[in-house]
Amino acid sequence: MHSVTAIVVAHDGSRWLRDTLRAVLAQTRSIDRGVGVDNGSRDDSGALLGEAFGKHSVVHMPRSSGFAEAVHEVVRRLPATPGITEWLWVIHDDCAPDTRALELLLQAADEYPETGILGPKLRDWLDRKLLLEVGVTVARSGRRETGLEAREYDQGQHDAEPRGVRDVLAVSTAGMLIRRDVWDEIGGLDAKLPLFRDDLDFCWRARAAGHRVLAVTGAVAWHAEASSKRRRRIAASDDHPRRLARRYSLFVLMANLPFWTMVWSLARNTVGSLIRTFLFLVAKQPAHAVDELAAIGSLLLHPLRLRRARKARKASRAGYALVKPMFSPPTLAFRRVWEMVQNQLSGSGPMDSAGRHHAVHLPGAEEGDELLTDDDGFLRRAFASPGVRLFVLLTAVAIAAERDLLSGGTPGGFLGGGALVPVAGGASDLWALYTGEWAPPYVAVLAVLSTITFGKTWLAVSILLLACVPLSGLSAYLATKSFVGYRPARVWLAATYALLPVATGVVAAGRIGSAVVFILLPVYASLATKVLADTHKPARRAAWGLGLLLAVGTAFAPLLYVFVAVLGLLAALSFGGVRRGVGGNLLISLGAPLILLGPWLATIVEDPVRILREAGLPMTSSPTLAPEALLTLNPGGPGAPPIWVTAGLLAVALGALLLRRHQFIVAVGWGVAIVGVLAATVVSRLSTWPGVPLAFAATGLLVSTALAAHRVAEFRQAGGFRRVGAALIVLVAFATPVAAATLWIMDEAGGPLQRDVRSPLPAIAEAYSKPGEGTLLLRTAASGSGGGLSYTVMRGRIPVIGESERAAYGSAFTDAVAGLASGRGGTDAGSLAAQGIAFVSVPGPVDPSIRRALDSDPAVARVTLTDRAGLWRMTGTVTPDPGPADDAWHRYWLYGQGALVVIVLLLSAPGARTAEPDAPEEIPAERERVAV
Amino acid sequence: MRRLIENRFGMLALVLIALVAVYGVAYATRPAPVAPVKAEPVKTPIAAVSTVCPDPGGAMVTAVTPPNAGGGQTLIEDGGKPVTMDEPGKLWQKTLPAGTDPVQVHATGAMATGLEAAQTRRALSGEARGLSGVRCVDPGADAWFVGPGPAAGDIRLHLANVESAPADVALVVYSGEGQVIAERANGLILKPGEHRTVDLKKVAPSPLIMALNVSTGRGRVAAAVEATTPEGVDWLPQTTEPAKRVVVPGVPGSAGRRELYVAAPGDQDAVVQIKAVLKDGSYALENREDVEVPAGSVVTVDLSTGVTGQPAAIVLTSEIPVVAGLKIVGTGSRTDVAYTAGAPSIDLGSVVADARSTKAVTSRLILSAPDKAAAVTVTLLPREGEAPAPIEVEIPAQRTKEIILKGSAKGFSVVVTPKPGSGPVYGGRVMEERTSGGQFVTAQPLAVARTWTLVPKAGEAPSIVLPPYSS
Repeated sequence: MHSVTAIVVAHDGSRWLRDTLRAVLAQTRSIDRGVGVDNGSRDDSGALLGEAFGKHSVVHMPRSSGFAEAVHEVVRRLPATPGITEWLWVIHDDCAPDTRALELLLQAADEYPETGILGPKLRDWLDRKLLLEVGVTVARSGRRETGLEAREYDQGQHDAEPRGVRDVLAVSTAGMLIRRDVWDEIGGLDAKLPLFRDDLDFCWRARAAGHRVLAVTGAVAWHAEASSKRRRRIAASDDHPRRLARRYSLFVLMANLPFWTMVWSLARNTVGSLIRTFLFLVAKQPAHAVDELAAIGSLLLHPLRLRRARKARKASRAGYALVKPMFSPPTLAFRRVWEMVQNQLSGSGPMDSAGRHHAVHLPGAEEGDELLTDDDGFLRRAFASPGVRLFVLLTAVAIAAERDLLSGGTPGGFLGGGALVPVAGGASDLWALYTGEWAPPYVAVLAVLSTITFGKTWLAVSILLLACVPLSGLSAYLATKSFVGYRPARVWLAATYALLPVATGVVAAGRIGSAVVFILLPVYASLATKVLADTHKPARRAAWGLGLLLAVGTAFAPLLYVFVAVLGLLAALSFGGVRRGVGGNLLISLGAPLILLGPWLATIVEDPVRILREAGLPMTSSPTLAPEALLTLNPGGPGAPPIWVTAGLLAVALGALLLRRHQFIVAVGWGVAIVGVLAATVVSRLSTWPGVPLAFAATGLLVSTALAAHRVAEFRQAGGFRRVGAALIVLVAFATPVAAATLWIMDEAGGPLQRDVRSPLPAIAEAYSKPGEGTLLLRTAASGSGGGLSYTVMRGRIPVIGESERAAYGSAFTDAVAGLASGRGGTDAGSLAAQGIAFVSVPGPVDPSIRRALDSDPAVARVTLTDRAGLWRMTGTVTPDPGPADDAWHRYWLYGQGALVVIVLLLSAPGARTAEPDAPEEIPAERERVAV
Repeated sequence: MRRLIENRFGMLALVLIALVAVYGVAYATRPAPVAPVKAEPVKTPIAAVSTVCPDPGGAMVTAVTPPNAGGGQTLIEDGGKPVTMDEPGKLWQKTLPAGTDPVQVHATGAMATGLEAAQTRRALSGEARGLSGVRCVDPGADAWFVGPGPAAGDIRLHLANVESAPADVALVVYSGEGQVIAERANGLILKPGEHRTVDLKKVAPSPLIMALNVSTGRGRVAAAVEATTPEGVDWLPQTTEPAKRVVVPGVPGSAGRRELYVAAPGDQDAVVQIKAVLKDGSYALENREDVEVPAGSVVTVDLSTGVTGQPAAIVLTSEIPVVAGLKIVGTGSRTDVAYTAGAPSIDLGSVVADARSTKAVTSRLILSAPDKAAAVTVTLLPREGEAPAPIEVEIPAQRTKEIILKGSAKGFSVVVTPKPGSGPVYGGRVMEERTSGGQFVTAQPLAVARTWTLVPKAGEAPSIVLPPYSS
């Protein structure tokens, strides 16, 4: 014989209460007694309760009372009826049970008499089929686990067969059916947990006391979760529900775990909280971060509160063994981490669910990213995108053209040549170089990339340099999305850009600096457009992003900055008055590189010629570049195709001028192009390769042309001779990339850049050099370039990228080297040895005069001499070079620079896109209230 | 302006005008192609010289530094108390008793600039009868000699290690039949300060003619070869290392047999064109235009017909690097020999330490300009008395000139300095003495003076870690 008392607790819930009460009263197994508790509602909740249960059956509580207090108050007043099994059916004001819910719950209770607590299956109030929970458990992090996927619809998949009950750790208080003797035995809900996790705590204690807790999957209740979703204000506490939930989660866990397990869990959760705080900060969800910190903080700062709670639960902890198997399995934790990563990638923040009460998860729908919109298989989806197809095609072209650079490497051979130092060493060498002395900042960028490529610098360099063409194509395709709407035009733009003479020249001469700038340039254009055209936050974010990427590009090719600064100044002059904030944003973009690269730029200011140099070995270019080459965007030098290759591009670009659309942008594009060519002329006459300015010019030209391209489609539809014209234009336009690709493949990509550069450092010298000892490398310059003797010093290994740029030795050292090579005798060898030179290496064919000079010097002894190389050793005492002095300023600067990069990165990273919807449109519950 | 931009052709016209302007700028600023400036090496005085006179016993050793600003000093270790000299232009001469160890001459500072030393022995009878002289040698890692082989006489290799590190010496002997494989030729180790005489008979007993390569695996050694044959005795001068063009200068205009030695030390047969640069021109010798030298072997060519009686230099060209030397045989019933060998051009000048001019002794300076016309200044530095005025000598292109040096009877040194703009000059000094038994003779090809060295223009260039790229 059962007697059921329904306890409906209301708090500003009239929105739902009507339906709830109707559902409670319409049960097939009707309740024996109904009691309403009104926690100081300001709406008509109290009245509604009164209507339903009668005025005398409504308890009025102060507004600050918690849920547990309310239920306690009722139970206290309930007279005990001996002889029958008394049940308490706790119902939230926003929880409407199905009509058969009570019947099925009691049926289960009959079947399993040892059961103390039962709960229905909860579904969403609005989305009636959406599953909220079928019993809950707890993870070791205190997280409330429903075991459900996000947005899982109830198709009976979690229904337990055959009896329709599942043993669970806990059920929600919404619709919880409690045997009264159990309530009395374990002391009911803990009033110190006014809102969240009281259910978990209560059921835990019940479980530990040996009672079963069942989720009855046949019984259904619809729950609005009004408090945790912030659909109403909670009065029991001033804190955000998320923070409360997090705090009480931890509290419940710590209160109920045995001591040592608790200590371990506390440590674990402290670390976990810190990590999560960090992730929230990265995702720019500072509120979440604060909540996370506050939750763990309040637990740690109030040990007495925890102690009291633990004391009260002393008995229940004995039954920990009964509870433990109900915890969520650890694999679930990994799944959560994975979900978190996915969420972050999809732009919704690592998680916004720490305080979530249920499995409903509303990730921001992936907006816009066309690569990911279709629901087909990944590959099909990917290859359907023209961008991916273009990338694959350009990769194939690059592989075909670079066949000799990619294959046939012999062991001991390095990729190098032109401006590229033979790529030796790994990420650790680059880091050591960057942290050990004032090295150029691009070393740090390469070090980061090398670290990503498993420490293999050659891989990072190969990706940047050899994959420059496909990467720049991809970046051009993606970056132009925001301002070139017509997709075929974007494909054309990207293909033409990627196969510009600049790109092939970059690869042939191993100009890694220009390669990086060339890949980043479309991104600059895209970000700059955002800075100028967007408003408020997106513009500011783009400005920081532009600043960061500009710093990267400037580190590789300082000339870039000058060019961008000039364009930025022009933009500020023309846009500054039009749009608010443009000036500030441009200041951010142009200022960030100055701050991030500060000390290095200062050294460039001291020696302005270095502006013209780019990352890697200095490599001059002929100052007599033909004017027609400059106008056809051909930078000359190795790898440059014949100048007619870009004729098609110029033809369509000029043709596009005849169309009277986008006049302003077209004018800007041509302006950039002409300024670029002019800059290229100046730079070229200074014996510098004009790749960077010509890439700018090409970008301007391509964008202004691509903007007019949709007219071609209109022509084609117009039919007739216009259709023929359109075909002709397309033909001419695509002639440039096709011809460039064909010529590139035919001529092969190599040039000065080679696959198999031999190590300039003989193995013997490498093996026998002690730390601080160097090898002097001598080479007589080719007679064509004026003869003379060149030297460099290698410290125990082949110089890594970036090492080549330090100004190392003064004129005294140079004189000693010249003297040593002349064989004048004297103290030259001794003074070199005093500066740490232990070996003299002369690559073959060894100049006879140098050989004689070295052989005749008593302070130098020959080690080996073959056709390929000669090596001599200092016979005197070699004083090892102490290396760069430990510079405190340098160390401080590294920390500062690292911090600045992180800050700029945070400021530029796209933030989480979720804006918590404040009370969305309410759909009347009846509308979908269909029996399930 | 606005109307211009909004006009369909206005924009095009503007852009075209801008492009033409840019083209004009690029065209106007295009510099004329300039030839790369050749980095001329700088002539720098040599600052330190060490030289070793290999076997001065019974011989007169001469050391001299041509006149200069002075400074530094020369240290001569002749077995007795070391002698210090600090006066440039002054000859130091001393006849040392038999059995003296090698004499070391070390000079630093200005005294090193042009330091030259030589030893000359004169014996009227006995095995060593005749004049024999050698330029004191620099320690080095590699030395080549060409001359008669151990089967033709008593060939002794004098080795001295004056460095502070041990020297590991290897010998390679090339004979008329090819390279001699000899067990005893390798692994000669000379401790610091050690000197040693090697009888080449013990290394390779059979060659009648030979080319000898003395090289060190580590360390450096001063090497000299003394050849005592029935025809006479003299030292073999060090010859230039194997090259595709070898000039053997210093063939005197006196009578006697002339025999050329040519060796091709590589592993390919060489066909050598031989030309004599004589007083009246440069000729290929009849029937001896081409000489075939099998790989790794030495051949002799008798040049007596054609060269004897005329001052000459022999120019050898070959596709395969060769080394060459020449035997000069004196006249008389009992002959004496002298050897000259391939020598470099004396672009930076040359000094000969020892020459004499008496009634019996004639010193000849033979200068050849096998390529372009040359002009040199010859200065004599007498042991005693005033230095005579320098002699200007002009040598027409492809000619040889012989100068009889008239100087102090006590001995003098000769400084030969090419004038600026002069073509390459090769030369040698020959001393002859008429005696009752026959003519004594010794020769010394002119070596590049240790005066100057060309210091190349050096610069730091990190890009040399890469091999030079030629498109």
